[in-house]
Amino acid sequence: MKLYNAKLLTITCEILAQKNVIDILHKHHISGYTFYEVGGSGAKGIRGQGFQNEKNIKIEVILQEEKLSDVLEEIARTLFSDYAIITYVSDVGVIRTEKFV
Amino acid sequence: MDILELVQANILTPVVLFFIFGIITARIKSDLKIPEAISEFLPIYLLAAIGLHGGLEMRKTGFESMLVPLLVAIGLSILMTLYHYQILKRLGKFNIFDSYALASTYGAVGAVTFSVGLSFLKNQGITSEGYITAILATLEPIAFIIAIFLTNMAVSKQTQIKKQTFVKNKDNTDLDTINVEQKKKLFQVLRESITGKAIVILLGSIIIGYAIDIDGFAPIKIVFDDLFVGAIVIFLIEMGIIAGHRLDDIKKGGVFLIGFALAIPTINGIIGVLIATYLGLSIGGAVMYGLLFASASFIAAPAVLRHAIPQAKPSLYITSALGITFPYIIMILLPIMLILSTTFHNMESINLGSYFVEAWK
Repeated sequence: MKLYNAKLLTITCEILAQKNVIDILHKHHISGYTFYEVGGSGAKGIRGQGFQNEKNIKIEVILQEEKLSDVLEEIARTLFSDYAIITYVSDVGVIRTEKFV
Repeated sequence: MDILELVQANILTPVVLFFIFGIITARIKSDLKIPEAISEFLPIYLLAAIGLHGGLEMRKTGFESMLVPLLVAIGLSILMTLYHYQILKRLGKFNIFDSYALASTYGAVGAVTFSVGLSFLKNQGITSEGYITAILATLEPIAFIIAIFLTNMAVSKQTQIKKQTFVKNKDNTDLDTINVEQKKKLFQVLRESITGKAIVILLGSIIIGYAIDIDGFAPIKIVFDDLFVGAIVIFLIEMGIIAGHRLDDIKKGGVFLIGFALAIPTINGIIGVLIATYLGLSIGGAVMYGLLFASASFIAAPAVLRHAIPQAKPSLYITSALGITFPYIIMILLPIMLILSTTFHNMESINLGSYFVEAWK
């Protein structure tokens, strides 16, 4: 079966930044994403313990390369300085490319 | 009763002991923790119980007596947030964002602290005016709104200065869009804090409590009244564990913040008790009224402030509110406020008494 190239953008961040990330995705007309709660450790110490508001989440978005740099730029500009957040991009193959416009 | 005696007696109550127990379990790195669903459920339960209690009591006292204390509380809350900011910015040398975030954390009301206050009074067999719960619900968003409003003003002033230095023939359209965005943000925060779960469940329960009256309350009394203190105990194990994990962060905050986290609640609490006594609230009512101003918010505040002032460090305001102020209030300040309230009330009745004697002559 033929696979088409797409980009997987993964964002691990504190739960209170989730809304900001999703707002940015919507702004760029990306409506599909997956998120789940995670825990771990990073520059800001052990994360994901304590209050509900201090949980961490991981958001995964598959998108076309053309949109990627705009989304990344906006996330970096608006969120990197103030929130606990890690972002990376990987190449993935998808079957139905029309689902990830 | 002697202050020391009452403090001692207060520490030996299950509420305080289990909180200390929670801190110890965190310090010895035990894996004890309250299941997540329960620690999420308990604040909702506590707020519902407080709300119902307040609604029932309000039915007895009516709305009219509430108006003056409510307006005074709003005024005080605004004043206090402003002077917290001045202290933090000028004396504490915190940056503008941390100052506003801390100022509004301490200007906001702690609902958990409020529940502990009610259980403390219950333990002493003292009642308080129910409408203080309604004041709690009103005050909750106010401190945030002021801090966010002021932060936005400060930020827009800064950007304006920057713009003027960069662009000589200034282009006002950019500034206008910034202003519009900030207004939108302020409105959004306002909406979020009013429709937030804490306010919604609190206001809903007040209304329901008011509507059902004592007869309607009887079948649910076992859940919302008899179990109240027990539920606080369970919740405070969790709070103790979270506070215990954060004890190391306290050192990072510095001596000034520790001093601020102890002195401000004391001053605000005493001011609150004094004003409540002057306004004619009962002994217990004055303690709860003082508690509104003494307490700092550590559950609602971070959720709101993280969005509204993302530049501020949450470790500062959560740690100082939960790690220092909360234990101090439930162990030491509550008994002190009760004794002060009793003393003020006695003084007032003596004064009134002598006044009447004077009048008779």
